[in-house]
Parts: sequence; C-alpha cells; structure tokens
Amino acid sequence: MSLEYTITYSTKNTYENIVHSAHWQFLIIPETNETQDFVTTNFSNSLAAINEFSINGYGFNTIRVNPRKAFQEITFTAEFKVVKKEINPFKFNLSDNSKLDYQELDSLNFKVDFEQYLKNTPFTTLPDGTNGLFQLDYSKSIFENLTNLNQWTYNHIYFKVDVTNVHTILEDIITKRHGVCQDFAHLFCAIARAYQIPARYVSGYLHQGNGYFGDSQMHAWVETYIPNVGWVGFDPTNNILVAADHIKVCHGKDYQDCAPLKGIVYSEGQNETQYSVQVISQQQ
Amino acid sequence: MTNIENKIFSAYQRDSALYDEIFDEDGTIKQVYQKLFNLYGEHTIEDYVKLNSKAKSSFFNQGITFQVYGDKETKEKIFPFDLFPRIIDPEEWEVIEKGSIQRSKALNLFLWDIYHDKNIIRDGIVPMDLISSSVNYLDQMNGIDPPGGIYNHISGIDVIKHKDGKYYVLEDNIRCPSGVSYVICNRTALKRALFGVFNHYQTYSVTNYAENLLDLLESVKPKGVDIPNCVVITPGMYNSAFYEHSYLAKTMGVELVEGRDLFVENDFVYMKTIKGPEKVDIIYRRIDDQFLDPLEFKSDSAIGVPGLFAAYKKGNVTLANAPGTGVADDKAVYTYMPQIIKYYLGEEPILNNVHTYHCSRPDELKYVLEHIHELVIKPVDEAGGYGISIGNRLTKSEIELVKAQIKASPRKYVAQPIMSLSVHPTYIDETEEFEQRHVDLRTFTVLGKDKEFVLKGGLTRVALKKGNLIVNSSQGGGSKDTWVLKNK
Repeated sequence: MSLEYTITYSTKNTYENIVHSAHWQFLIIPETNETQDFVTTNFSNSLAAINEFSINGYGFNTIRVNPRKAFQEITFTAEFKVVKKEINPFKFNLSDNSKLDYQELDSLNFKVDFEQYLKNTPFTTLPDGTNGLFQLDYSKSIFENLTNLNQWTYNHIYFKVDVTNVHTILEDIITKRHGVCQDFAHLFCAIARAYQIPARYVSGYLHQGNGYFGDSQMHAWVETYIPNVGWVGFDPTNNILVAADHIKVCHGKDYQDCAPLKGIVYSEGQNETQYSVQVISQQQ
Repeated sequence: MTNIENKIFSAYQRDSALYDEIFDEDGTIKQVYQKLFNLYGEHTIEDYVKLNSKAKSSFFNQGITFQVYGDKETKEKIFPFDLFPRIIDPEEWEVIEKGSIQRSKALNLFLWDIYHDKNIIRDGIVPMDLISSSVNYLDQMNGIDPPGGIYNHISGIDVIKHKDGKYYVLEDNIRCPSGVSYVICNRTALKRALFGVFNHYQTYSVTNYAENLLDLLESVKPKGVDIPNCVVITPGMYNSAFYEHSYLAKTMGVELVEGRDLFVENDFVYMKTIKGPEKVDIIYRRIDDQFLDPLEFKSDSAIGVPGLFAAYKKGNVTLANAPGTGVADDKAVYTYMPQIIKYYLGEEPILNNVHTYHCSRPDELKYVLEHIHELVIKPVDEAGGYGISIGNRLTKSEIELVKAQIKASPRKYVAQPIMSLSVHPTYIDETEEFEQRHVDLRTFTVLGKDKEFVLKGGLTRVALKKGNLIVNSSQGGGSKDTWVLKNK
C-alpha cells in the first residue's frame, strides 16, 4: 500500500530597508529513496527570479535563488508531491548473536566506513560529566538499546517551542530539559555516537495527522546504522520508529549540514520572516 | 684566503656550534661561495650600506609590502631583504627538487585516498584520528574527483639544513602557500643593486614561475573545456599577501578578481566584465576553504562566491588548491610522511623528516612533558609560526603554562627536537656588520596532469633576531635571493 503526500512550504521575508543583493539556498526537496518515489516539485518566488536547481556539498537537491534586482519583500512557495510506501519499521531480522554486532562496531573498517557519523560536531558534543546519562545494556541487541534510547530521549526532554534555537548546544538542552525536534535529534545522535553507533541527523517533513509533535515546521529525526540491518530511523521527539509519515529531505552530521534555508542578504535594519509547512495525505 | 683580507667580513664571528653555509668548520670559505666572497670583499661596509638601501627602495617602489596580524596597528611593512645571496650547488639542489616532487606527489595520493576509499587508514598506516579530529578535513570533498586528479597543485615545502649538513623538511604547506613573489622580486632587487655578480655564476632563472604555473593549471582544466579561462581570486587589498596575488595574476596574464566579481549560474562560474559575463574554468584561489562559498561553508563570508562549491562538485570548475587540502598539511600528518611516501610510492623518502612526538599518545606525551626544555612545541593546526614554543627559551612559569595547554588538549600539539637551522652571513642594520643568522628554504612545487615543476630557487627566509629560529615573515623574518647553480 502507498500514500501520496502533498507538502506545501512557504516563506515570506520582509525587510525594513531595500535589499540590493541576496542569495538563498533551499534544502527542502524530498529525496527519492527506497520508500519515497515520484517526487514532483513546484517552486516559485514572488520576484520571478530564476530558481536554480542544484546540489549541496553532500549531493542533496537544492534550489538557489538570487534576485538580481532590489526588493523589500519576497515570498517563496513550494509544493511537492511524494508517493510513500507504507513500510513496517520492524521488518528486519535481528541477528541471534548481538555480540557479533557489537564486535562489528569495534572493527576498523566499520569505523572508517561510518567515520562521518561517528564524530562529534559542536551540536552533538556531550558536555563533560554526562557520559553516564544513558547506559547501554550489552546483553540486549543494538536495536533494543536504540529503542530504549529513543524512549529515554523522549522522556528526558520536554517539547517546548521558542526556548531553544538553531544555535543551542547540548549543554543547555541537557540542563534545561526542553527543546524542539532538532534538540531531540542532536541528543540522540550524541549518545549513539558516544557508544560508537553511527547516527545521522535527518531533516524532513512529518505528516501530523496522528497528533505527533512536529511544530508545523520542518521536522528532524535520526537514522542509525545497525550492523547486518542497515540504517534504521528513530524519531525521539515522538518516541516512534520512522515510518510512512516521515518524508525525508536529507541527512547529515547535524542541523548545520541540513539547514532548510541558508540566506545571505546584504541589508541593514530589521527583517521579518513568516514561514509555514503543511503536509496532506491521500491514501492510494 | 682568510677573513682578514676581506673587508666586509672582517668582523664576522663564527659560532662553531652552528652550521655555517659559507664557511667550513676551520673557517675556509666553501668553494661555491669563493667568487662571491671575493666580489663582495671588494666593497667596504659603507658601499654595502648604500647598495642595501638601493635594494630596499626597489621594494618600496614596486609596492612589495605585507601586514602582520595581531599587531595593535596594522601597517604596511617591507619584507626585509638581505643582499648577500644563498647559493645551492647542483647536486644539493637535485636532492631538494626530487624530494619536493616526491613529497608533493605522495601528499596528492594521500588526499585522493582519504577523500575516497581511505585505504591508508584501513591498512593501519595512519590513525583515523588524522581525519576525524582534523578541522581541515572537509566531509563535502568525499567522493569528489578533482579535475586531473590533483589536490595540491601548489605545495610550499619548507626545508632546513641541520648541523649534519643534511636537508630536513619542517613543514609542508599545501593550502595557499605564499612567498613566491618575493623569490622573483628578490632576484630583481639583487640584479638592480649588484648586477655584476651574476656574470660570474650560471644561475637558473626564477622568472619562469608564472608561465609554468599557468601551464600546469591549464593541464587540469575541467572536462569539456577547450581553451580554459583562468583567474586568481584574492580576499582583497587588505590581505597580507595581496601584493603576491596581484603579482601572480599580472605575470600569468590573467584577471585578478574578488568574490563579488564572480557569480554562479546553473552551476557554472562567470566573471562580470563590461562586455557581459565571461565563463571561468580555473580559479587559483588565495582564500581559505571556509570562505570559498557562504552557502556551503561560513555563511558570513563576504569574500566568497555563493554556489561555487556546487559548481566544483559538478566538475565545472577547477579550484587550485582543491578544498580540503589543509588536512594534509596538519603537523600531525607531517609526522607520518615517511610512511605515507612508502605506502603510495613504494620509495624511501628523499628528504628527511624531523622526529616528532605526538602528544596524543600517552607515552610520548609523558616524554614531551618531561623533556619540554629540549623540544619545540607546535600546535598542529596553526600556520605562519603562530603558537610555537621553543622549550629552552621558556621561563619556568611559561613552561608550566605550555604544559597545562598540552595536557588540556594533547591532540592539538606535537613536539620535535630543537633543530639547529644552518646559519648564513646576514647584514645587520644595528651593528652594521655581517652576522650569522638562521635560515630555512621554502621550495615551490607545482603539480599538473602527468607533469610537475619545481621553481629552481625558492625563498630563503632569515630569522633576523639573533638566535631566533622562527623565520616566518609574520614573525619578523627577512629573506635572501637564492641561487641554484647550473654547474659548479
């Protein structure tokens, strides 16, 4: 069975003074992968500037806009259609001998293969003295441990908007214990990596028909690599496994690699941004 | 021939503990310097002072200046120039040249490997730490094939001559090594001041650098380009090496641009001209990785070109040097150079490496902390001589401070025995005499597709402060013209 989603993304930027030069890069197009297909993109801006479809440094699809004229207000509107396969997130065989899986994590080739998702970044560095925050139970499989970590993260942080921002580091999140989806994802990544389990930050959209937290903006979750299984998605903001409601855009080491919008605007004075995301599903 | 007969060297004092490049241990002048010694000896110190100021004014007239960061006031300075040249005989030069090519090629293969399969790490030759904890490793470069397979198009390899008379490499600079314009300007200044001395020696020209550089850069043009358009990009006139950027663009016969002169459209790079956009295929960039493209790296970079990295990733433009080369001139990588050369080339290193202690290894850290007074401590990721501590020059409290810094972040530091750089007679303004001063040599190697070029000469840098071992221009060093002889 498959689901068709229509995602509408729009943002309106208003500037106090005239802007003479600006560049934007959007990282918002759903990727095509095993569970996501037939992605169509409709993108426009109110200044009728050229929309350049390109890639970022990690090969994910981007749209760059550089209006070559002065303006004070610009609106971007995007509509994506995605067909998503309904998948059973538990549809894999856990190995009988999880000891071998832990040994695999320790092998040099494994560490080299997943080097990028094992190292810490400023957003995924655990503060000193927090190593024991979450204990791994080596008698259980990696998957079970990560499921527990998912739940632990969900319980440890209270979802609250406007208390953190895209620059918040883990120290603040761990002590204040609240944040939004990217904070949940950063904390999960940091702990998984501390145990040598490759973890990557994922940016995308969440269909909220089921009452999930996703703050009607873009959503963030985590993918971890389990030996002999592959990449498995966890959504610690909602304490669920990633399933058909999650529409992936890109992944990276942390938010920095996945920022949905990067803008370089040469202007003085105040500016205001309005932003909305809507995900609608039609069962097929 | 003894010193006494020579007027300008009459007061030259030799410290027998140091390796003097022109005098043997017993005070005899070395053969290659014999003629030069006699020619300079015809002058008095007064003559020399006049010639010296003539040469200096030639630098001012050409506008060859630089700035030092970190000073309270930044002001233009001229790079102090010494009129007494350094001579390298053909046999010695052959070693330096072959060694520089060997190192540059090995570094290029190392870079290809660590941005592709990473076999050198899988095979246990170097630790994974070299990439995973290096701030200069660019994840975005993974899997990218740079045009022509070249990463470090331009390498500046710093060598010194130790007490044992052998050459040792101190550093490999493969980000944006600077200094080549001084090599050429030093030659010009010396020719203006003392043209006659060149009649007595068969010296290789250094003015062919720019044409060779352009030729080799053009050999790594992007696929599908027939006649490539090359530019030099500079951070702007306030950069310490701006003179060099403009000099290189001028002598290569290409445009000197700033970020705002370029733009990216549909993943191709264009230059704004009064006749409309002109496509750019090769960029000799003199701006750091993090400033290249504000959409990919530091978003507050006002000197980069938005979209440049996407154009590079798609293979539509050559960047020289490639982004991410900085990981290989990390001083921790330096310590593995003998193994890196053997691994990729199956050869023994031609140039020696200075033994290095890694503070990240517990037993070596212990040694470093115990023997700090005999060692030079270097941060692994700083360039230009910043942050270097020389153990026997530190006070007790400074030693404690350095120890604390090392203990706080061992991965950040390496230590080496204090090398005794050779000395060269250098005219000192304050004493109005020639005195022994430590020198090193920066060589310039250019790699192209299946060919390479080493500038026959290089920048001999002089530490002007008595006893000082740090020769970087940012640390108050000067320089000398460097002659590579065609025959003895």
